[in-house]
Amino acid sequence: MSCDKYNELIEKYLNGDIEDTELDQLKNHSLQCASCHKKFEHLGRFEDVIKSALSSATTIEQASDSILSKLPATRIVSAPAVLFSKQMAVAASIFLAVGLLAGFGLARLNADKQIAVPTAAKVPMKVARLNGTVIVKHQNSDLWYPLMPGSGIYVGDTFHSTAKSAFVLELEDKSTLELNQNSMLVLKLYNGGTQFHLEHGRLAAALESPHPPFFVSTPHGRVEALGTEFTVTVE
Amino acid sequence: MPDKSNIAADDEKLVEATLQGDISSFGIIVERYWDMVIAFALSRIDNATDAEDIAQESFLKAYSQLHRLRNPSRFAGWLSKITAQQCVNHIRKNAHRRIASSYTTYDVDASAQLVVCNSNPGLTDEQICFVRQTVSRLPEKFHKVIIMRFVAGLSAVQIAKQLGKRHGTVRVWLHRAYQILRKDLVSLFEEVK
Repeated sequence: MSCDKYNELIEKYLNGDIEDTELDQLKNHSLQCASCHKKFEHLGRFEDVIKSALSSATTIEQASDSILSKLPATRIVSAPAVLFSKQMAVAASIFLAVGLLAGFGLARLNADKQIAVPTAAKVPMKVARLNGTVIVKHQNSDLWYPLMPGSGIYVGDTFHSTAKSAFVLELEDKSTLELNQNSMLVLKLYNGGTQFHLEHGRLAAALESPHPPFFVSTPHGRVEALGTEFTVTVE
Repeated sequence: MPDKSNIAADDEKLVEATLQGDISSFGIIVERYWDMVIAFALSRIDNATDAEDIAQESFLKAYSQLHRLRNPSRFAGWLSKITAQQCVNHIRKNAHRRIASSYTTYDVDASAQLVVCNSNPGLTDEQICFVRQTVSRLPEKFHKVIIMRFVAGLSAVQIAKQLGKRHGTVRVWLHRAYQILRKDLVSLFEEVK
């Protein structure tokens, strides 16, 4: 093979696309060819210098331990798995029992502000269809819960559909709103008129005719639904 | 490190597991990308302690925003954007102290004091600062691909996927970045021969 071929292999090495057999060929060739040896050796030295100059004294293990110790206690949770293991069932039972006791105790103490009970008005909407994992956060709460087919919907709720997930909200008049994957939607108002805020993602609406005032706001502006079917996308 | 060819699919699984509440999966993510994140921070911030803080903050930010990640298979690209933003925020906050506000005023003497614990035995503190300064002067796209390729160990194909760019584009960027750095670091390579 000529040096042209090895120059291509050096280029592949630079791109990280070189196969093991090609690397062996290149190494063997560089032992015999001063020109290719210089280029190949320089590239290796370059890699070492970049890696060394941009490394820290903290080891990966130390960094990982430090970061994990700082993670907030509250984590987004997604919908429960369909199949429960025995341990999960036991954990769920304990969780339920503790939750019931805590709820009872807190209610007795009139300390319900500590738990994430929605304080806003419940609205006559329902989850008509749900695919994948969609989570919801009530107004004035930092806790996310999995959205379920029977979940109550409240003013101020924020819905987040994760990757490969979607859901359909059905309004009282049978109008429907479909939220695509990787989208975030907030129910801002439901009082004669309806207003949603689409933070990001894609919302497709099919409204009954006639319908009360219906608005969708986005970070870029607000639109009013004049027709019955429309789509809003926020990149 | 996992099999590099499946790193995107593996990242996707780890992100999903983290979203399900498995913190150990996030620990694996941290271990996988710590070197890349600290490299981004060290090439933008001239104070090693601040750079480590920024790297940690970047992971914490990524964790808190993980549910907003639209394509988990592009986690590394997304994380690099978060780190870049954290660096910008830090620079803005500390502009009055002249920390990294201008890469042309990189304070080699001051930086040398902060990298004495660096694990690299082959380069002097001045040489380390010189390399960081040179990398930091690269255009953003070149800067990103050089670190993802040579620190994170991703291939051009993987980088293209992470950044949502064409493979050919990333190859050109890598080639040009390498040419620039090879030229700018020529004196250093002469010294460390």
